[in-house]
Amino acid sequence: MNLEMRDRLDDLLSDYFRPETTPASLTARVARSTRVADGDPAQLVERLAIHATSHGISLIRVGRPGRAAESGLTEQAREEIVQYLRGERVYFSVPIDLSAAPAFQRRVLDAARQIPFGQARPYAWVAARIGNPRAVRAVGTALGRNPVPLLVPCHRVWRTDGGLGGYLFGAVLKRRLLELERTTPVLEGCASTRIVCRVGCDHARRMKPEDRVVFASVDDARSVGYQPCKVCRPSAAA
Amino acid sequence: METERRLMARVGKGDEAAFAELAVRYGGRLLAVAGRLLGSRADAEDAVQRAFLQCFSNAARYRPTWAVSTWLYRILTNICVDELRRRSTRAGGDRALLSMTTSADGLPGSYVDLHRALERVPREARLLLALRYVDGLSYGELARIRGISINTVKSQLARGKHLLRGELAQRGVL
Repeated sequence: MNLEMRDRLDDLLSDYFRPETTPASLTARVARSTRVADGDPAQLVERLAIHATSHGISLIRVGRPGRAAESGLTEQAREEIVQYLRGERVYFSVPIDLSAAPAFQRRVLDAARQIPFGQARPYAWVAARIGNPRAVRAVGTALGRNPVPLLVPCHRVWRTDGGLGGYLFGAVLKRRLLELERTTPVLEGCASTRIVCRVGCDHARRMKPEDRVVFASVDDARSVGYQPCKVCRPSAAA
Repeated sequence: METERRLMARVGKGDEAAFAELAVRYGGRLLAVAGRLLGSRADAEDAVQRAFLQCFSNAARYRPTWAVSTWLYRILTNICVDELRRRSTRAGGDRALLSMTTSADGLPGSYVDLHRALERVPREARLLLALRYVDGLSYGELARIRGISINTVKSQLARGKHLLRGELAQRGVL
C-alpha cells in the first residue's frame, strides 16, 4: 500500500512540476538584458569625503577626499561601502560616531538603523518608532541631514504614498540603492565549510564562487547541516 | 546538438547567439522551478532573467567540472531562496497563508491540494522536491546545487514526501 501511495505521489509531483517550453518573450527579455550597460555604482566612493573621530565615522559627504584626514577607520568605511555598492556586503561593521548630532536627530537615525537591509519604511513609521508620530516632517529633515548616509540607511525611508522623498545623493541613487538591496542576498553558506554567514563577513568573502549557497534563514541552513558563523553571528541579525 | 559545455564556452567569450540558445534550452525548466517556488509568474520570470544575466556575466568563471544545468540551477535557486527570505521578513508572521492564496490562483483544480500541501513542507525540502521533479535531477546533482551531502538530500526528500503524503491523505487526495 505504501508503495502504491508513493507512486501516485510521484506521478502527482511530476505532473505538477512539469517543465514548460521557454516562452519567446522570456528569451527576448534575456537577450535584451545583456545589452544594458550599467555603470559601476562603486564609483560613487571616489567622490566621497569621509571623516572620523577616534570613536567612529562622523561625516560622509560628496567632496574631495582629504588625504591627510584618512585614517584606519575611514579606509575601512571606504572599503565596506565599495563592497556594499557591489552587492558583496549587507551590513557595516565600521563604528559610527553620532555624538555631534542633536538628541532628536540621533533618535531618528537610530530608528532608521533598525530597518532591515532590502526593505523600506515610510517617514511616518520612523516618527511612530521614536514615539512622536506627528513629527513626520521633522523626521524628514533629520534624515535629510544624516551625517553618515549609507552607514545609517536613510535611503530605506520613503514617503507613505510610495514616493521617493529626498536623498542627499539624489533620487536616482536612492532608487538604485533599494534596487541593489533587493537583488543582494543576505545569508550565504559555504558548501565546503558548511558555515552560514551574513554576506560581507570575512569568512564569506574568502569563499570560492562555486561554494556560495544562499539561504532564506539560519534555521533553513541548520536544517540541512550548516552552522552559523561565530564571527558575524547571522542568527542575531536575521 | 552542441554539447552544453561547448555552448557555455562560447557564452564565456561573450557570444550572444550562444547565450540565446542557452536561454531556449533551459528557460522552460528554470521557469517551472521558479514558478513553483515563488508562486507568481511575474516573479518567476524576473528570477529566471536575473539568473541568466548572472550566468552571462559570470560565464568566464564557469568550470566544466559542473554540468551546465547544475550550475544554472545553483544560480537560480540562490536567487529564489533570497526572494523567499525577503518575503518572509517583509510580511513577518504568517506569510504562508498569504502566499497560498495568491499563488494557488490560476492553478488547475487538481493541483490546488498539492500546492497547499507543499506549502506545509519546510523550504529546503520543498526546493529539493521542485528540482527533483522538474528535471529528474540525481541526488548527487541536488547535493551539489544546494551545497549539502547526498544523505541530507535523501533525508530531506523523504521527510518532504512523508509530510506531503500526510497532508494529501487528510485532504482525501491520496
